[in-house]
Amino acid sequence: MYNYYFNENMYRSNNDLYRNTPSLYNPTVGFNNGNMFSNLYTQYKNYKPENLIPKNEREKLLLELSQISFAAHELKLYLDLNPNDSSMLTLFNDYTKKANALRNEYESKYGILESNSDNNNETPFAWEEEMWPWEAKFNV
Amino acid sequence: MFNYKKKLQYPINIKKKDLRMAKYLVTQYGGSNGELAAAIRYLNQRYTMPDNKGKALLTDIGTEELSHIEMISTMIYQLMKDATLEEIKEAGLDTNYAEHNKALYPTDANGVPFTATYFATTGDVLADISEDMAAEQKARAVYENLIDLTDDPDVIGPLLWLRQREIVHFTRFKELFEYYEKKLHNKNKNKDNIMNNDMIKNGTMNNNMMNTDIMNNNPMNNNGMMSEFILDQFLMNNNM
Repeated sequence: MYNYYFNENMYRSNNDLYRNTPSLYNPTVGFNNGNMFSNLYTQYKNYKPENLIPKNEREKLLLELSQISFAAHELKLYLDLNPNDSSMLTLFNDYTKKANALRNEYESKYGILESNSDNNNETPFAWEEEMWPWEAKFNV
Repeated sequence: MFNYKKKLQYPINIKKKDLRMAKYLVTQYGGSNGELAAAIRYLNQRYTMPDNKGKALLTDIGTEELSHIEMISTMIYQLMKDATLEEIKEAGLDTNYAEHNKALYPTDANGVPFTATYFATTGDVLADISEDMAAEQKARAVYENLIDLTDDPDVIGPLLWLRQREIVHFTRFKELFEYYEKKLHNKNKNKDNIMNNDMIKNGTMNNNMMNTDIMNNNPMNNNGMMSEFILDQFLMNNNM
């Protein structure tokens, strides 16, 4: 229910790209697996990846941000070694833009994620307010 | 420079304390195949990479490993934070408590403290990247051992996820290794060509000798290297 960022209308061009690079998962599946490349995914014994279920709107947005950021990061590692793959670069830029938009949305609603954020303009200093990520309640 | 994001790369929410698991898990923080060793190993090796492919990949994977240190530290913290002194004693963590209380301290599962020898840098690009490939495989194996040691899905989830990351990183390092190996081979080939050409010019070697030399020293015809090599020599000898 939280993968509306990948519906066909919004990501038509990417769906074309998936066809050209069939080994790539979409960011929701890729993030769950810890691996965006289906040809590299290898399961351990009978263990299946954890299915992350957000409990509220904040966790939902945080999970979306993590999924898109992860997808962009995976493509970055690939592009480091394949710097001339223009279709992968297009997808990388798409994910990066989307991740920046999601980060802005999260910060304006729930709390600062980066100290150089545009949303860091209220006292008390928002960067140190709210939760820190190693606290269990921060996470999905 | 590094810029901190106030979030984990993958969420961790462990509801059940488990001190024995914390004791095992610490090895992926401060053990020889742990995330701290990996992060600094890669970030340390990147300065002597011969080109931008290596510099970029080691920077990006090294940076990701920093966020894995944070994930492992978070898991240890959450597994331990509500522990009583009795439970700490029972799990054999009392010796750790004596020196560090509940603070995080990088050791392996036997309490051996982290050491810089884990960084393993030679300055030889093929040796260093092979080391990185082995490190990823060893970390994958340790994650599998750790998964075997627990039945808590809150712990298994992140461990499965980190295990996949080792597989992806291994593949990328392998690709980088093969790229450098090929590059280095071509470089050596060019050196041989130049040397042989000089020897022909100054009369210390004739074409027949050179071909014999090639036959003796390059028995790599199983993957097409031989024919490529001879073709290069042919083109060069005929000024083509």
